[in-house]
Amino acid sequence: MSPRHLVTPLFTGLALTLLAFQASAVTLGAVLPLTGSSASIGDDQRRGIELAIADINAKGGVLGEPLKVTIEDSGDGATGALDAATKLNTVNKVPVVLGEYSSSVSIPLGQYLVKQGLVHLNIGSSSPAIRKIGATSYSLIGLDDLSAQFAAKDVLGMGYRKIAFIAPNGAYGQGIYEQFKKYIEAGGGSVVAQVLYTPGQSSYRRELQQMQRSQPDVFVYSAYGQEAAVINRESFDLGIAKTPWYGIYLSMCTTDTPAQIANGQLGMEVASLGPAGKAFASEYQKKYGFAMKSSYSSYAYDGVMLAAAAIDQAKSADPSKIAAAIKSLGGTFDGATGTLALDADGQRTEQPYDKLVYKNGALQPRS
Amino acid sequence: MLQFLLDTLARTADLALIALGLSLVYGLAKFPNVAHVQYAMLGAFVAVALQRSGCPLPLAMVASCLAMGCLAVLLHIGVFRRLLRSGPAIAMIGSLALSMIIGALVLGFAGSSPLSYRLPIEAPLSLGEAMLARSQLLSMLTTLVLLVLFAIVLFKTRLGRSMRALACNAPLAAAAGLNADGITYWVNFMSGALAGLGGSLLAMNTSAYTNLGSDLLLPIFAAAILGGLGNPLGAVLGALLIALTETLVTNLNIGWLYGQAMAFIPVGYIGAASFLMLLLALIFRPYGLFDREVRRV
Amino acid sequence: MFEFCLHVLTLACIYGLIALALNLQAGYTGLLNFGHIAFVGIGAYAVGIGHLAGWALLPSLIAGVLAAMALAWLVARLGRNLASDYWGIATLAVAEIVRIIALNQDSLTGGAQGISALPGLFAGASNAHQNLYTTLLLMVLTALFAVLSVRLANSRFGRALRLLREQPQLASCLGYDLLQLKSRALMASAALAALGGALLASYTSYVSADYLLAAQTFLVWSMVMIGGLGSVRGVLLGALLVQCAYSFVPFAKDYLNIGSDVAGALRIGLVGVILLVCLLWRSGGLLPERLRVMP
Repeated sequence: MSPRHLVTPLFTGLALTLLAFQASAVTLGAVLPLTGSSASIGDDQRRGIELAIADINAKGGVLGEPLKVTIEDSGDGATGALDAATKLNTVNKVPVVLGEYSSSVSIPLGQYLVKQGLVHLNIGSSSPAIRKIGATSYSLIGLDDLSAQFAAKDVLGMGYRKIAFIAPNGAYGQGIYEQFKKYIEAGGGSVVAQVLYTPGQSSYRRELQQMQRSQPDVFVYSAYGQEAAVINRESFDLGIAKTPWYGIYLSMCTTDTPAQIANGQLGMEVASLGPAGKAFASEYQKKYGFAMKSSYSSYAYDGVMLAAAAIDQAKSADPSKIAAAIKSLGGTFDGATGTLALDADGQRTEQPYDKLVYKNGALQPRS
Repeated sequence: MLQFLLDTLARTADLALIALGLSLVYGLAKFPNVAHVQYAMLGAFVAVALQRSGCPLPLAMVASCLAMGCLAVLLHIGVFRRLLRSGPAIAMIGSLALSMIIGALVLGFAGSSPLSYRLPIEAPLSLGEAMLARSQLLSMLTTLVLLVLFAIVLFKTRLGRSMRALACNAPLAAAAGLNADGITYWVNFMSGALAGLGGSLLAMNTSAYTNLGSDLLLPIFAAAILGGLGNPLGAVLGALLIALTETLVTNLNIGWLYGQAMAFIPVGYIGAASFLMLLLALIFRPYGLFDREVRRV
Repeated sequence: MFEFCLHVLTLACIYGLIALALNLQAGYTGLLNFGHIAFVGIGAYAVGIGHLAGWALLPSLIAGVLAAMALAWLVARLGRNLASDYWGIATLAVAEIVRIIALNQDSLTGGAQGISALPGLFAGASNAHQNLYTTLLLMVLTALFAVLSVRLANSRFGRALRLLREQPQLASCLGYDLLQLKSRALMASAALAALGGALLASYTSYVSADYLLAAQTFLVWSMVMIGGLGSVRGVLLGALLVQCAYSFVPFAKDYLNIGSDVAGALRIGLVGVILLVCLLWRSGGLLPERLRVMP
């Protein structure tokens, strides 16, 4: 049996897959981290997209046809994302691609898409470097400068001056730390301890100990559900939970933490308590049976909604026409995450956030 | 100081059982089984799932151990025995493929969100200034008991002697009448069970999640190598050293270098520190720190 | 679809080069290097850092190759006393240390975000032409290095390496300096791997610490083992096969209309199954090395 015998089944398989492709009138693409360390976020983004598809198709679809979104796995890496994007571009021929979560994946993904003339909708990365991806790249999510500015103002506004900061050592954590520190120091506070922890460890006690030694007024953190649960549990075990804890994107931070331990935590989150946001939250709960795991689902939802609205307005699925429609829709689009207002770089000029506190097992607004 | 010690011991307990299992099978089968850490992950899920559906915790853990032990034996018979005939490198890549399959199955069935035990939240114990969670204490005590039991089995029983003989020189041991196949099955069973127990104990702190295994891969391998292949208990000491390095690096105040009150090495380098320690140890002790391998003169 | 196949072919060629480099160490010399990706990463980062510093592609490439060769020399000296399994994990440790440094040194390497917008090869041409020229260039390079690999295998140096692999004590008795042989093999391998890394960075226009993950080394190892350790044709076939598996498996989800909730798990699972089936079916590799057996 020589390897030549592999070639025939391989090409037959390829031919069959080509036959299986029906050209749906409107197909969009999405590249999400469905496997790897960000899988829980990718899953949440996926749920948001599925909800949007259901909503749009219930109202008659886009341009009279049902909407489809081909969701590809990026494998949590740039090469996987580029593989997925190449497939979506050259085989599925989608005009718009949503994605990803980590800036280290979104940036190469976005640059490839822009180079190929497609529209890139960033639904999860918040590093300021996203700004420079290219002309047809738009962000639904407010970049780190927006979220960090809000969080810093909130924390300083509550009277805290000595701040300990902990986040994962990756594109997200490094990005938000930089911005947060800038705004804290500009506002008169100081970051007395900072920890960008190595994700995936079995415990973070040592990191917590290190921060505790600087005796901060408040611990500011942002982490994915599973790691945040470990950090919260261990800070409880070490007695550090007595110091106030403030979570950036509090829903993501507390989604897997036992209610008793998370009780009393302060934080901020994307404003999903407006009418559109409330509708989204209750729909999500109804369809999946549990509350939103993070606000990334709402950004993904908005992404699909925006794309559909743009296609409807442009009356075509041509990427350049869609890009023009998005620019014009920029200031008037009302999504689950608030009103979208895009600046010249295609980034959100403002992102409404809410001040929250975790009480009695749920996130409540805080004045 | 006491907190420092407790943190080190807790981290050691996290790694020890799984590293012990890996070193055990590595010494016998002579290939790095990348799928070993997935037994820990799967064991964690089994224990958590059982406990959540009403099983008492000790029983859930024992059940998960038995299940993982059996799985390890089955996979050895079905996959690794065949691959080992072509050499250890092939077996390692096979274990890699297997680890992907196990990970995919768990991701598909259990989803990407972590699953945790339904245990009441208890206040931590305080020993002077140091604080210790009850789950940590349980984990450390269980690990200690198991290590003692394992040491007894390895050094005082016939099975243990046979295992050591087989690890040293398999053909000679078989020629001397040892049932090589049977002992191999026992070793695989034990290593799977130890990994499963390690995972279930770990899940008390971290919850069972799909990347539990792959996150542990590098520290576990480092611990096993540090202790010396062919020396399962050495792996535990390797784990201790790694935990010590990690805790030391994060707690060392290098403020005096910069003229500040407090300055620390960035915590992101914690992995680099333990690997650097591994390299240094290997430079001075090329066969691991507690080398008990018998080599031909 | 044609462009997608070109893309897969380009990636397969890049990984083919990296696999050829690993074959030199593991196949010919029998060195189990689990930190091979460090050389690739150095080549890739050289292009990235060079771009930030304003250098053209070729000088950055050469700098990367030299840096990788320096690391290889260090690693060879480390292996002086270490037995193969221990050396394997030691090289893994070295690769991890390089990755962690790359991840944390924001100023030099861009930290976790990496360095983006690297100019690709043939930057002046149109998109379609650029992809085509890149694929052709890579095929030529792969063929070139495949031929060079075979020539090396049949040369005196190659024979000495194989002797080192099979009977190190005999090689030593015959007067070969084992350490020097290992060093030279590692340095040659590192140079080729760095070239592969530089091409990867140019093709994807991006470099980040993700390129240095241990999982990437295991990927290259699986290509080499499935294809056949020690044989150039085998290694190239392995690279093509594994890359095709990763790239074409997502089509299965479209074809079988699998829901998106298990799409990710399905992709990883199917690739794992394909790898395992290949290994179980042909444990020696699809095109194993043909050893001359003395009667």
